[in-house]
Amino acid sequence: MDLAALKTQLKNFVQSMFEEGVLDNQFSQIQALQDSTNPNFVEEVITLFCNDAERIINEINRNLGYQNVDFSNLDSYVHQLKGSSSSIGANRLKLACANLRQASDERNKEGCLQALQLITCEYCLLRRKFQALLHLERSIVELETNQK
Amino acid sequence: MAPTLPSGDQASDQDNWDNGRLAHKRQLLTEIVLRNRLTALVVGGDTTCRVLEQLLLRSYGVQTQGVDNGRDAIALIASGVKFNLIIIDMILSVLNGLEATRQIRDMGVHCKMLGVTACSGESERQAFLAAGVDVFIEKPLDPEHLVPILRELDGQ
Repeated sequence: MDLAALKTQLKNFVQSMFEEGVLDNQFSQIQALQDSTNPNFVEEVITLFCNDAERIINEINRNLGYQNVDFSNLDSYVHQLKGSSSSIGANRLKLACANLRQASDERNKEGCLQALQLITCEYCLLRRKFQALLHLERSIVELETNQK
Repeated sequence: MAPTLPSGDQASDQDNWDNGRLAHKRQLLTEIVLRNRLTALVVGGDTTCRVLEQLLLRSYGVQTQGVDNGRDAIALIASGVKFNLIIIDMILSVLNGLEATRQIRDMGVHCKMLGVTACSGESERQAFLAAGVDVFIEKPLDPEHLVPILRELDGQ
């Protein structure tokens, strides 16, 4: 596939993520911050985010495994995940966090477990799409480098 | 915004792509030219948010430092480092954002403080403002909120 076609494929793929509500305009802000002084910025931020998100989801899972759930501790983790999701533009994941926050506020353990299932699904979907996006970006960089 | 074509030449797909991205970037980042050297401290427990906030500030030419907890923020300020702007998260480890804000103000620091949080409600807003922040916003930190603050600090 030639460079122009790859770039179009990437653009269309990101657009589809916007249309599906997986990403929102905040992700465009992040793409706009990538330039020659920060050529790998998008990949670095996505990697940071995924590492943070997986750690937090595991902690939430662990907390909900206790008989007596520490809801204030849980709230702190939800807050972090919602914050990083909104900062990277992960729209559906951010919305899923709001469900968990509400269940946590209500001290509803069963509700929290259901909300965590949704968060896990949304995160897995997002991670798969980010991996595809980064694969396209790397292919573009490789082609551009070969053409120089 | 349509890409700019070089006069007399057929623009390549590469040119159109690059011009399009540049125009998009300008549109999104609301260009601002700072006349003065501004400094900012970002106090945020979440790495992704802190890195993004710092880079957004740097893209506007603001020199930034970042710490991930309230205690380190207090220690840095107590060491004599001055900032024009402090961006502080409500949820922090070791010392939470509300208490860290109170202590920073108690130290006689009068610079602009912007409180950020992922989950905003009226009670959180009131609590953060009462602790001493000047502005309270829900994440993400975006140019729409940041640029007016930077212009004000720059005397524009």
